[in-house]
Amino acid sequence: MMPPWLPQFLTSVVVILVVLHLCLGAAAYLILLERKVCAWVQDRCGPNRVGPMGLLQPLADGLKLFVKEEFMPKGVDRVLFILAPIITVIPAMIGFIVIPWGGYLMLGDGQTVSIMGADINIGVVYLIATGSLGVYGVGLGGWASNNKYSFLGGLRATAQMISYEIPMGLALLCVILTAGSLLPQEIVARQLEGQWFLVQQPLAAIVFFICLLAEANRAPFDLAEAEQELVGGWHTEYSSMKWALFFMGEYIHLVVGAAFFTTLFLGGWSINPITGWDLPQTGGIWLILLQFGIVLGKCFLLIFFGMVVRWTVPRFRFDQLMKLAWEGMIPLSLALLLMTSAFVYFGWTQWLWAGSLGATVVLFALQPMLPSRAKANRRIGLVGSRFSPVEDESSTGVIAKN
Amino acid sequence: MSTPPAILAELSSYLPVALIVVMAVIFGVVNLVGTHLLGPKRRGERKEQTYESGMAPIGTARKRFNIRFYILAMTFLVFDVEIIFLYPWAVDFTQLEPMSSDATLFFGRILFFILTSIVAYVYAWKKGVFRWD
Repeated sequence: MMPPWLPQFLTSVVVILVVLHLCLGAAAYLILLERKVCAWVQDRCGPNRVGPMGLLQPLADGLKLFVKEEFMPKGVDRVLFILAPIITVIPAMIGFIVIPWGGYLMLGDGQTVSIMGADINIGVVYLIATGSLGVYGVGLGGWASNNKYSFLGGLRATAQMISYEIPMGLALLCVILTAGSLLPQEIVARQLEGQWFLVQQPLAAIVFFICLLAEANRAPFDLAEAEQELVGGWHTEYSSMKWALFFMGEYIHLVVGAAFFTTLFLGGWSINPITGWDLPQTGGIWLILLQFGIVLGKCFLLIFFGMVVRWTVPRFRFDQLMKLAWEGMIPLSLALLLMTSAFVYFGWTQWLWAGSLGATVVLFALQPMLPSRAKANRRIGLVGSRFSPVEDESSTGVIAKN
Repeated sequence: MSTPPAILAELSSYLPVALIVVMAVIFGVVNLVGTHLLGPKRRGERKEQTYESGMAPIGTARKRFNIRFYILAMTFLVFDVEIIFLYPWAVDFTQLEPMSSDATLFFGRILFFILTSIVAYVYAWKKGVFRWD
């Protein structure tokens, strides 16, 4: 006799294998898509030499990276330098298993299995935890490289990650208060029977999406690898597959983030944003495949949107980035959290969208009372440049000329 | 003494997590070992310098860094631990009848909890913890 957990475990294994290969393939082809989108935005052709329309480019790149010299400069911390890419890619790869890629599959004997990697009861908290683990690799890689640019990049990535972690967690709390559960399948079920949370919590969705971009270190938040300032940031000294693992981690993170957003705000496989008829949650294999396709389609649209954002919005300056997180998004998401819990307390859950807008109005009204705010776009003199020279260079820590 | 079946079922739902962690570790290690074996190896005095835009690197990169990062991390810890406490509260709170006496108690306590940290947050803001210039 089969133990009762075996069908679910076998389904999990199948889902993990399928989605893992999908993620790895997507990571390769998203780089091609990114270059194509970049070319499209900048009115160029993009890669078009390797294979038809450049479609074999990711394979050529992968092969090239695999046989490149793996190089380690002098003075690096050898253990951390080698471990950092693995530490980056592992959290990215283990995140997706709590995403529901479909509803419940009806088996022959009336049993149902959930189409997700692991049906664990901490649900979305697991995903948030693994998502923020990725920064360890970046921080350690930057520190181990013994390069000033890498070090600065790693520090920037860490500061940025911990700043955007807070509004992300608060926006997620708004969703949990609306759905009343930590389980991803339950969160999707609420959106199937009611409205998408994008409709109920529009501001939380915007805050969450911005935080996703920031956590994935993507422009306009790619301060950690700002080419014009830091050469390559934390991966300046990395080459061959070590470098590729960092990038694989980044792109898998992007896919998982888009799937997470789809689950939380776009109703998973729900096709009706407002209350009314929707796809059933339990069904046969064809329904499951349809649901899987819808989830992937939504993920693709989100990723594409993120790419267009990346190539159209200029990069922040670091103090502006911190200002946006600490003086903009955290007050906003705290107000949203208070509003949502008050609305849940009074039982007005169908009016949450009005509450979101109300919270914004209250914040704007409170703004003059908040602590003094420096102008975000003022110029900051670069100490020691020829426009703002310093008299005694030794006093600023700049090494004096010989 | 045997383990109750409920806990076994609970633990078995974590089996795929263990599986994917093992797969991810193998993926990372195989990639690194493969590229280590396949790539060429040519060393040199100049080549082993770290790349700092063509300048000869001065000193080590592991300098002391700005204290702001430290204070920021402390503030982050306060908020993150608070958010962790709020997750179980959020799930329980939504199960209660709206406006019931239990819900009032839940809501009042968490309101106090959030407001205390908002006071701390405004204090840190006034102190200039979030200024980066």
